[in-house]
Amino acid sequence: MHPLAHADAEGTENRAREAIAAEEGSKKMADLDQELEGLRAAAGRHAARYQVIEDCRWPAGARIAVNVTADFDAMLLRRLLNEPALQLAKGEFGGRVGIWRLLDLFASHDIKATVFTPGRICELYPDAVRAIAAGGHEVADHMWEHRVPAERALEEDHLKRALDALEKLAGKRPVGSRSGHTLSVLRAEGIIYHSHRVQDHRPHWVRDPDGQERMLNLPFHYAIDDAMYYSFAWLNTENASQRITDPERVEEMWWDAFRQQYEVGGYLNICLHPFVSGRAQRVAMMDRLFTRMKRLPGVWFPTCETVARHFIAATTQAA
Amino acid sequence: MPWKDRYTISDERSLADVDIKWPDGARLAVHVTLNLSLACGGGGIEPADLRTPEAHYSLHGALDTLLPVLDRHNIRLTVAVPAVIAAIHADRMKALAAAGHEIVPNGWRNEDPSLLDRAQEAERIGRATEVLTKISGSRPRGWYSLPRPSDKFATGSVSSHTMDLLLNAGYEWFGNGLADDAPHWWVTNFASRRALLCLPYYYHFDDQFFLMFPAKGTGLEHADSLFRNWRSEFQAQYLRGRCFHMVLHPHTIAFAHRLRMLDHFLTDLGSHPGLWNPTGSALAAHWSSRHPLGELKPSIWQDHPGSLS
Repeated sequence: MHPLAHADAEGTENRAREAIAAEEGSKKMADLDQELEGLRAAAGRHAARYQVIEDCRWPAGARIAVNVTADFDAMLLRRLLNEPALQLAKGEFGGRVGIWRLLDLFASHDIKATVFTPGRICELYPDAVRAIAAGGHEVADHMWEHRVPAERALEEDHLKRALDALEKLAGKRPVGSRSGHTLSVLRAEGIIYHSHRVQDHRPHWVRDPDGQERMLNLPFHYAIDDAMYYSFAWLNTENASQRITDPERVEEMWWDAFRQQYEVGGYLNICLHPFVSGRAQRVAMMDRLFTRMKRLPGVWFPTCETVARHFIAATTQAA
Repeated sequence: MPWKDRYTISDERSLADVDIKWPDGARLAVHVTLNLSLACGGGGIEPADLRTPEAHYSLHGALDTLLPVLDRHNIRLTVAVPAVIAAIHADRMKALAAAGHEIVPNGWRNEDPSLLDRAQEAERIGRATEVLTKISGSRPRGWYSLPRPSDKFATGSVSSHTMDLLLNAGYEWFGNGLADDAPHWWVTNFASRRALLCLPYYYHFDDQFFLMFPAKGTGLEHADSLFRNWRSEFQAQYLRGRCFHMVLHPHTIAFAHRLRMLDHFLTDLGSHPGLWNPTGSALAAHWSSRHPLGELKPSIWQDHPGSLS
């Protein structure tokens, strides 16, 4: 072959390779564009589900709403996870000691709390559930046995059982839930709000995945949850990641959280567990914290239901 | 509150603060447990666990340093010791008993009894009882199964037979009580009202969980947090008049800044009038005579398909 012909053939080959590379490149660009569009759509669909209440506008005189909440699961979650006997005894503290101390604490500060209570607790601590209601607190749902079954029919059955049991002892059917129950299932049972995840630090509306209907969420943050600081092996954490601490440190963090929300006229949801915060040193800490909060003007301690009805009424008026 | 097997150990609502009375009008019971176990696995202390630096420190220099400090504050101890450690260090145990402290087993070798079958567990309880009886001259009346730093849970461990076997062996109390911050009854059989008294234990007042936990190197060193936990619990319990309980390990608490912190805490504690500092058995005896097991309410639990029983 002529050397030039050889060079020519080589040039053709190179051009062909370049053309293929360019095509592949633009295909890859198209793939990335598609990827971006897919992500954009996912973010958009996600964002469309949440609608924050930008300006809380509390009733006259109130600058901040503090929802004091307690998750009264005692040993139920420990039992559900099949944990050993002494872990269950640790949870039992909540039923035989802790809940009563928290009720005394709330009464001494004239605070109306919301106690998220699994239905099964009615068969273990019926007197405590009656006492919660008698103290003017809200008895709300915290699942039947601290789980949400995957099968829809059983999920509905569990929620109904929990609400029936709580209604029987509290004299009023719960209107709130702290759970991962499907929103439409909650709504069908007359639940008007839930207090679950933190899509925002402010109260917000959460739409069903199909976008049709919505539910009010009163978010509680893990940083304002006693178990994160005090409960060993919480959420199945390893020993090397335990950072159990003392009430004085938590008091200062929670005081700062409160002050920040007070300054902006916001909202704070405090999550306590009777088996955790019912310990003597922590009751004393919450006593100090409530005393400090109440020294400021305009600190409002309503139940979650009161906050929920406040927003639902405001929305109805606006519409 | 109805009793429910595998959920609750008791059907009681705890006694109100005002109903708890201590001998001679004392205001608060202060119970101090010295745990002489060593870091080990669920199987209990192995030869390798005795060859660590901490193992040597614990039963020698650390204990030698710690005891005079506790003495200076007139602290009476309940010594929770794995029976094998008691046998190896029998002279130390005799000296502790002679000084007025109570020596009780912390397992045969601080093992997790849920890893044993009933016969093995009974055998070890029997042998541990024998060893401690020989050393201290009288049968031990209390039993501990305190947590090891490698445990998944900071509660200590029992099997489904432990309470029953301890009652069979003549024990009057169990030291890992987590369901109350005062002594309380663990009902093993609802029909027969068989029950064992539990003395309060809580890991927030156990030094090992704050001092290079779970192991030296990158473990957390929060002596300040431990101090604030002891202080805030003591202050709260002093107002309530129930119990304050703390657990010390020589090899953790006897070291430098930690010992100084303990010394400060005990100075503060000692400035409060009206403290009663019993051994575990004195505390249990008082409670058993004053607050025996009350009436029990039967379970109202209903089984449902699709629900856990």
